[in-house]
Amino acid sequence: MKMTNIYEGSYQWIMFGRDENKPEKIIDTNQYMVRTANRCLLIDPGGVELFAPMLAAVLHYAPVDQITDLFASHQDPDIISSLGLWDQALPDAKLHASALWEGFLRHFGCESIEYVPIADNGGIISLDGVELQVIPAHYMHSAANFNIYDPQAKILMSGDIGAALEEAGAPMYVDNFDAHVEKMRFFHQRWMPSNQAKRVWIDRVRELDIDILAPQHGRMFKGDDVKRFLDWFEGLQVGIAV
Amino acid sequence: MKVGHTKSQFVAVASIAAELSAVMGVAKEISLAAANAKAIAFRAGEKAKGFQPITDFINELAKETIDLVDKINNHALSLYQMTVNEHRMSEAYDKFELVSVLAKGTTYEDSLEQPLLKAQQKMLEYRRVFKTNVTQLLDQLAEVMHPARAARVIAANSRIEASQAGEYLQSLQAVAESVDNAAQVIHDNVQRCRLALSVVDLAE
Repeated sequence: MKMTNIYEGSYQWIMFGRDENKPEKIIDTNQYMVRTANRCLLIDPGGVELFAPMLAAVLHYAPVDQITDLFASHQDPDIISSLGLWDQALPDAKLHASALWEGFLRHFGCESIEYVPIADNGGIISLDGVELQVIPAHYMHSAANFNIYDPQAKILMSGDIGAALEEAGAPMYVDNFDAHVEKMRFFHQRWMPSNQAKRVWIDRVRELDIDILAPQHGRMFKGDDVKRFLDWFEGLQVGIAV
Repeated sequence: MKVGHTKSQFVAVASIAAELSAVMGVAKEISLAAANAKAIAFRAGEKAKGFQPITDFINELAKETIDLVDKINNHALSLYQMTVNEHRMSEAYDKFELVSVLAKGTTYEDSLEQPLLKAQQKMLEYRRVFKTNVTQLLDQLAEVMHPARAARVIAANSRIEASQAGEYLQSLQAVAESVDNAAQVIHDNVQRCRLALSVVDLAE
């Protein structure tokens, strides 16, 4: 599991991904962690197969008892099917996820962890004074879907938005946007169901000051590539299967 | 440490529910046969005098079986939940062990000790509770065999009494026959439940 510091201030953002030992047929995922003085938030901590390498990687940065919060952008297994294992490892932690998905996510096992339901209009997650905004991204692609925006680090963790299906060992950041487009096109056209939802999300996100757009699959976008992505996505017709 | 939770454990516990559901159906049939026999015996009057108390016995045995099966069913359901808990805990423990290998040399590897220890204790506790409950369930299943055995004795007595019931002989023999068959079915199903449970690995 590779670890990349993507923000270093009074707290850190770390990206985990490109796990070399991942079983071949499961999709590669990016996990993120916000590490503050005494707490850690794991954002989309990953599937059950990823639990052991992910926790082992986190132990480079924090002890187990300081992993206090989990966030699931939506309900997919590659996002949060590891929940039952975190539930045994972190009995005092909180899971922040959509109120709509509670009855579904509990199927993964959530007896000790406190489920903190997020209302449709989003909210705030506070960690040692660091305030992270939970931004609605419904139908992008999941019916109840959220992003995490950090106004201080200027990072938007965008879930499946901006995701690309890449070869193993791909670089962490987009380095040639035009070449990258083809790795994203089908994913967005097929998985994103609604042009209307897309427009609402783009309008909302254009209001934010973003240095890094950090998706759950593939490379992150930095600087001008963030705007390039939004412009490209704006012109893309989605929901092509019907 | 690898605990013996296997797919067969889930299958064993789930199959008990299916067998018990069949037992319940047969016990209800016996109860119906008892009501039927009572009506015939009443019509036969003096000729089936010896048969009348037998019908009450049959009915009681059916009720007893239904109550026991109901109890066992609830127990089997909670045993299934225990299997799920134990499976999840064992899986978690295996993963924690893997984490401790992968985390060698990390800054905070020591912080894994407590969760690992707790997971081990919890897993062993789940295993102990599961084991105790399997033993209890086996005892309960043995208990269901008693009314089934008694029903077969009663069926034999019924045949004797039926032979003295004149024109009602055939009807009452049919009742005795159905009680005997039902008792045999119950016996076989309960045996299968016990066999299914016996494949569960109770080794520490």
